[in-house]
Amino acid sequence: MRFASDTGGTFTDLVVEDDNKVITMYKASTVPSDPVAGVLAALELAAQDRKLSLADMLKRGDVFIHGTTHAINAIITGRTARTAFLVTEGHKDMLVFREGGRIEPFNHTVAYPKPYTPRSLTFEIPERIVYNGDVLTALDEVAVLETIEKLKALNVEAVAVCFLWSTINPQHELRVGALLAEHLPGIPISLSHDVNPTLREFRRASSAVIDASLKPLMGKYLGSLADRLSAAGFQGDVMVLTSAGGMMTADYVAEAPIRVINSGPSMAPVAGRYYAELDIPENRDVIVADTGGTTYDISLVRDRHIPMTRELWIGQPTRGHLVGYPSVDVKSVGAGGGSIARVDNGGLLHVGPMSAGAVPGPVCYGRGGVEPTVTDATVVLGYLDPDFFLGGSMPLDRPAAEAAIRTKVADPLGISVEDAAWTIVELATENMVQAIVDITVAQGIDPAKAVLIGGGGAAGLNSTFIARRLGTDTLIIPEMGATLSAAGAMMSDLTAEYATSVFTSTANFDKDKINNALFDLRAKCDAFARKVGSKVLKAEISVIAEARYESQVWDIDMPLPMARFRNGEDMKTFRETFDATHEKIFTVRDETSAIEIVGLRATVKCKMRNDDKLRLKSDQNQQAAAATRKVYFSDGGWTETAVHRLSNLPIDHTISGPAIIESPFTTIVVDRAATFRRTASGSIVIYP
Amino acid sequence: MTETILNGAELAILNSRFEGVVRKMANTLLRTGRSGVLNRAKDFSCCIVTKDADLLAAAESLPIHVLAGPDMMARTMADYHPDLKAGDAFFHNSPYHGCSHPADLTLLVPVVDTQGVHRFTVLAKAHQADIGNSEPTTYMGMARDLYHEGALIFPAVQVQRDYRNIDDIIRMCELRIRVPDQWRGDYLAMLGAARIGEREILAIGQEIGWEKLDAFTTQWFDYSEKRMIEAVKALPAGTVYGASTHDPFPGMPPEGVTITAKVTSMPDQGRVIVDLTNNPDCLPCGMNLSEACSRTAAMIGVFNSIDHSVPKNAGAFRRIEVKLRHGCIAGITPHPFSCSTATTNIADRVANSVQTAIADLGARAGMAEVGAVVAPSAGVISGIDERTGKPFVNQIFLAFSGGAASRSEDAWLTTAHVGNAGMCCIDGIELDELCHPIIVKKRGFVIDSEGAGQFKGAPSTVVEFGPLIGSFDLGYGSDGHINPPKGVAGGICGGAADQILQRQDGTTVALESCAMIKVSCGETVIATSAGGGGYGRPEDRDPAAVVHDVREGWISEKRAREIYNVVVCDGVLNSVATEQLRNA
Repeated sequence: MRFASDTGGTFTDLVVEDDNKVITMYKASTVPSDPVAGVLAALELAAQDRKLSLADMLKRGDVFIHGTTHAINAIITGRTARTAFLVTEGHKDMLVFREGGRIEPFNHTVAYPKPYTPRSLTFEIPERIVYNGDVLTALDEVAVLETIEKLKALNVEAVAVCFLWSTINPQHELRVGALLAEHLPGIPISLSHDVNPTLREFRRASSAVIDASLKPLMGKYLGSLADRLSAAGFQGDVMVLTSAGGMMTADYVAEAPIRVINSGPSMAPVAGRYYAELDIPENRDVIVADTGGTTYDISLVRDRHIPMTRELWIGQPTRGHLVGYPSVDVKSVGAGGGSIARVDNGGLLHVGPMSAGAVPGPVCYGRGGVEPTVTDATVVLGYLDPDFFLGGSMPLDRPAAEAAIRTKVADPLGISVEDAAWTIVELATENMVQAIVDITVAQGIDPAKAVLIGGGGAAGLNSTFIARRLGTDTLIIPEMGATLSAAGAMMSDLTAEYATSVFTSTANFDKDKINNALFDLRAKCDAFARKVGSKVLKAEISVIAEARYESQVWDIDMPLPMARFRNGEDMKTFRETFDATHEKIFTVRDETSAIEIVGLRATVKCKMRNDDKLRLKSDQNQQAAAATRKVYFSDGGWTETAVHRLSNLPIDHTISGPAIIESPFTTIVVDRAATFRRTASGSIVIYP
Repeated sequence: MTETILNGAELAILNSRFEGVVRKMANTLLRTGRSGVLNRAKDFSCCIVTKDADLLAAAESLPIHVLAGPDMMARTMADYHPDLKAGDAFFHNSPYHGCSHPADLTLLVPVVDTQGVHRFTVLAKAHQADIGNSEPTTYMGMARDLYHEGALIFPAVQVQRDYRNIDDIIRMCELRIRVPDQWRGDYLAMLGAARIGEREILAIGQEIGWEKLDAFTTQWFDYSEKRMIEAVKALPAGTVYGASTHDPFPGMPPEGVTITAKVTSMPDQGRVIVDLTNNPDCLPCGMNLSEACSRTAAMIGVFNSIDHSVPKNAGAFRRIEVKLRHGCIAGITPHPFSCSTATTNIADRVANSVQTAIADLGARAGMAEVGAVVAPSAGVISGIDERTGKPFVNQIFLAFSGGAASRSEDAWLTTAHVGNAGMCCIDGIELDELCHPIIVKKRGFVIDSEGAGQFKGAPSTVVEFGPLIGSFDLGYGSDGHINPPKGVAGGICGGAADQILQRQDGTTVALESCAMIKVSCGETVIATSAGGGGYGRPEDRDPAAVVHDVREGWISEKRAREIYNVVVCDGVLNSVATEQLRNA
């Protein structure tokens, strides 16, 4: 028996796979002050469903996979450890300068971001290594020891070190690490070349300080999670989802918490790829959109690979903190069911980015919200059944939603309340479409040729409209779409990542240097797989080359097609693969320019679960839904619309809209112009 | 024909569609551009103008690029080529016909519908790595005139017909532009961006209907004008003067050039007038402003001083009147005076004079002065890389600050200069040391150099760098040494720019403000950038913020006491002594 949970801002999702391979889903409210409590509450629901005590159910568990926002929340709310930063002499302001750049050039009301660790906890260390690893200035160990005394006096709780060129020659960082361990026992240390070996010192430094600052609290949190699960009766392995879309053992994560900053959202494309492959035989790019209460997360699958980025920001780009560590490329915009609609003093409608959040939430929740939201609009339009939200467990106040939209949107715009509700949905849809366009342009994907996967409980409400605006012909709402990240967790592999910063150019290719680096990376991967041992069904190693054309500034990720470079044929393959990858992303190739490799990253994936399909248990004891209800559409006004219960729909039978499809976890709206069918995999496929 | 009236929701959606188009154009240009000035300095812009050449939507970019100019360029295109057809594309970089300066090569594509009617024009403008000048630089401040400058000039010259290149034009460029392969790559990026914009607008027109889009643009301009009126009404009424002085550079009088702006605020009419006519005549150097830069710089000063959420388009611009004089350095520069550096030096002085003037209106308006550029830490280095034997030439972006305090917040530290507003990226040390044979010994901010005030201007940056092996040539033009960035409303000047050469034996020598020097192994240049001015009296700064600045090493305890009247001992506020000092 396996458990996978994803703690979101509003709900904690739980997916359970019983030994008969049947899947069930649960949702419990997240307890922000004690996230483990939300997990235990969801587990309690699963136990009740099986008529077992929590202990009896947990006893049968082999593995518990956990997605957590604990790390990112700690950073946002400033609850991380008091962290000192040691840096090469002369470069104290590395974390102040960052990489420049700004958004909103006329907005002078936003403060310049403070460095992640304050200048008062930043210390310059006399030492200098140059580009080829030569030592220009030897490490001044006396100065290091003096600094350590200062750190003691300042009661620092963690230390990060970033020296220039440490990725080429780590000797100074290693020596300082040893001195810190010796003289500051018990204080966690993060060395930049070890945390994130990349040739951009700011990103390396940023990763190191973030990593160090999270160690005390993530160690404690994951320890407490394991202890409480164990106290409740669980004896299996505790795993944590990583930003790279895999999972790691909890103790490993506590050692390198930088790896789990985007734990959770990173799994959506893993699940999205799985569901696209089930129903779409040809190899098409996939856009995976996960609708939450406050954010809309978009990720991609390009040519079966999930694109990664080193530009994961905590907060807004250029204003927040750059993580710098390779993570699944997830674009998150402030658009969701909780997005607030308002009309400004010039008479223009805005939807978001302000959100009613989980508290007070939309007006229709009846928890004190007074600003009309997208969710309120969908209630007014008849998309959501006020009596069947979350399977009827949470009644919605439709008259209150209607009144809020009337006074705050319809009257100021001089239109009817239905038209107002529709335009709120339409503008929210447009905002989501624009966010998808931004990320797909940047990753070289044509949305019109891609498949859209709608994840999140609210995805079904407007994904048909989003797909139509994008021009894509296929929208899939997966059976487990409401808990997409937790579903991804269930199918994820145990992974480890290793990286190295290594430079060469095809103009003067240093084959031995690259082959040695590849050999080292593969040896580390093999060692990891051996350590995991007999539970591994299969171990796969893949390598990414970070490469670019000569004189380019930004590199791209290119899956390396060969294990090592043996001969001219391998060089030719490398050249062709890079040109093709560059062309795919940027539409141009430049066969006359040399190609530079600036880094290599290896991932080992250890399969822990065989490829059995994930199938949701059908809910037999559902009441039959009302056959029709009145729903408002822009192209026909109020329309008596068929309401289908998802589990009752026949397989592979194409039905025309308009229609509403309901399940305890989601509601799907299909308008007149679209058709849909339920597939054998359990997904609803919509042709907009 | 009755005019279609769109409601606030329809306006919002169509505006979002057009903003999506320009963002898609900009993303394409950023991702496919080859030269560092595009993908590192982000020195480009994309926008849409209506068939009447009114600016409708622009992607977020450095401000000096886009407020005024696209309109004039599109008008030139229509005047010179009255019979526009689908598939046409035009080069434009003439500062005498609406472009900012010759390096900002712009591609204009008229969007022509299936009936052959010209509906909109899309523009992609990108600063070129080279534009064929007589010297290998695109900022030729010392150019006596256009002929000495030597730039290729395109006053709306057709480069594509039926979606195909007119090869004559491409061949001319390839023979005159120094890095033809890179130039061709950048041209393709611009073309890709413009054609994507064209395609997207045609699709919107097809879907929505051109008449409805006409109604949209009219009403969107009206909405923007309404928002602008509201924002301008928040300014006090009055006429004020602002001045900002450029340090003497070659080709300038020994006292430098003082730019004066007369700003008249008429909140009752919802209107602002900026009068730049009382400024010196054009000079025989490359510092004269194109009309586009004169207008844009004046508007930057205004927009920096009001509610930032006003949409910046032709509707809002109706409420700003910019008065310019023909033959004036900050006006309309006639051919063949050179406008080589029109986007930076004098333009910065124009924007600064406007926003500091508005601060003098009182009541929390305007903004302090943004520091000047370009310190050697953002200069051009060139030479032979002895590690590889290959020549190199590149602008490095090691450090700049310059940010001015606003009426409600401390400065954005890495603003660069007022026309850039912080959009430029800063290089990594390792990346620069890998690509060039240099070593950067130090890069940081200078203590006690901030523009003191209730809200702080940026402190200066200091960079010490030199050759790791061999030598290199370093070209720069650093304004702001004699005239540091001024504070407003009681705020104080930010740090001045400066540059010195440190020899192998440790002795130092002061460097000229504008020079091309050789730096040899063992020597280093110590380059200090200008900071930014402060806003409001330092003694009105929140004492807690002053204590934070002391603890964080931005200012000394001495400066806290003497300038801010805040007594801090060992990082702790002495509130009694502070109160006494502040009430004295």
